[in-house]
Amino acid sequence: MEISYFRTHSKLFEIIWPREISLSILQEQLRVKAYLEKEYAEGIKEIRMGFNTLSLRLTKDISDKDCFDLVGEIKSSTLSVFEYQPKTWEIPVCYDEVFGKDLNNLSKIHKIPIEDLIHIHHSNLYTLHFYGFLPGFMYLGGLDARLFCPRKEKPDRLIPAGTVAIGGQQTGIYPSDSPGGWHAIGKSPVKLFDIQQDPPCHAQVGDKIRFLPITKEKFYQIQKNVQNGQYTLKHD
Amino acid sequence: MIKIPSYIHFTQAGLMTSIQDLGRFGAAQYGIPYSGAMDRYALAQVNFILGNPKGAAVLEMAHTGPEIVFERATRIVFAGAEADIYLNGRPVKYGQVTEIQEEDHLIVKKIRKGQWLYMGIQGGFESETVSGSKSWYRGVSPRDKVVKGDSICYLSEEERFYPPVETNAKIRSDWFRPSQINVYPGPEWHKLSTLLHNRILKKAFTVSELINRMAYQLEEEIANELDPILTAPVYPGTVQLTPSGRLIVLMRDGQVTGGYPRILQVDNISLNVLSQKKAGEKIKFGLIDEK
Repeated sequence: MEISYFRTHSKLFEIIWPREISLSILQEQLRVKAYLEKEYAEGIKEIRMGFNTLSLRLTKDISDKDCFDLVGEIKSSTLSVFEYQPKTWEIPVCYDEVFGKDLNNLSKIHKIPIEDLIHIHHSNLYTLHFYGFLPGFMYLGGLDARLFCPRKEKPDRLIPAGTVAIGGQQTGIYPSDSPGGWHAIGKSPVKLFDIQQDPPCHAQVGDKIRFLPITKEKFYQIQKNVQNGQYTLKHD
Repeated sequence: MIKIPSYIHFTQAGLMTSIQDLGRFGAAQYGIPYSGAMDRYALAQVNFILGNPKGAAVLEMAHTGPEIVFERATRIVFAGAEADIYLNGRPVKYGQVTEIQEEDHLIVKKIRKGQWLYMGIQGGFESETVSGSKSWYRGVSPRDKVVKGDSICYLSEEERFYPPVETNAKIRSDWFRPSQINVYPGPEWHKLSTLLHNRILKKAFTVSELINRMAYQLEEEIANELDPILTAPVYPGTVQLTPSGRLIVLMRDGQVTGGYPRILQVDNISLNVLSQKKAGEKIKFGLIDEK
């Protein structure tokens, strides 16, 4: 395991992996996180994740040497018992241009027909690396390189909740109305963040996401069911 | 002790009025920020003077304050920023217990010194608890800021009040006057050149107009030598170096992850001081050397 660390102060430090978005790094992060939560539960206040970081807020003081020793301990420990068994979630998405307001523009930029763009987008299986940016916003790995597209120079003032969009090398779903610079390609009728539920999000870090293309009619049908509380997100 | 659920009614909302406590912990894994009082020192002060639990919910105000009518008797204390406050037309003292009677009318006028003003109430406010906190945050708590006509619940206590401290204990607002903000090096600090280190630590930075509960942007631009990082965890107090070279300090409602280099981390006490700085005020970063 190729890890180093950075200690900000006596109650905050992070473990750092090489600078890349990869499934193997995510798996290592999850194993290390599970190990630390088991072995050092009382000393840890909170663990946050990034693509190549695991940040720890502590209840007890830690010295630089403690951090060094801990990284050594992690490297020499057998962590395979902490393997996470991911679920796969199916999220219905309507790729109609009513919702995918930037499909046409993306098609021109990439010189790929709209149908092919959509096909490329829902053919891949995505992985949830962590939540950030907004409550319930999933940072997903696995976007096909043909769909990479720099963020808009001038962000849109309002991207409606449920919008599926592409920004840089990532794709994601806006869980709430928000300004944003990503390119809208569709919309999901599903509620991805509900503070009334415990936990407020369905997918756990490490889980897989599959986008299921649906028609406009199906979109409104599911939307109605969601509003009536008669819709549950499916997983394998 | 008899406690009667009572309400404060807002006849004017004020510009940025909300309920805050010590914040929401353990929900960052779902992208939910901590929230909580911008100036936690002032929160602690009002609750201490009232004999409340440390993290009792208080009313946070900025810019222009609200107008409030109290339904029943209680006690209140103001701390944090300084403002002209009137109860039934008479000035209210800063940092002291003020007795409130039924139908009393309170006006918080323009804030003169500092940014965030706090009104503590005996027993704390009784707004909805979500994920362990009463702090308001859009999309998480049922409300995110007070609007005209709103009401917020408190428990009116009929019992006599025994102040926990000498009532002449002086609460002052000058503790947030220092311009030095103490910082730790952030994870990307060591990627900057020594030249930039010196520049950042010697320069006075001006607090810009772009300040809110999420972040404070500073005006001066410094040369940015760093590429964006892969999205990584950030906290209240994280100082980000943006592509334009401007510094952004994340505050209590700041997002939980970010893609800009995290060059500094503001110390907890200094974060309260910084929160009280107004647009145009100067700050200087002072590096905490632990070694």
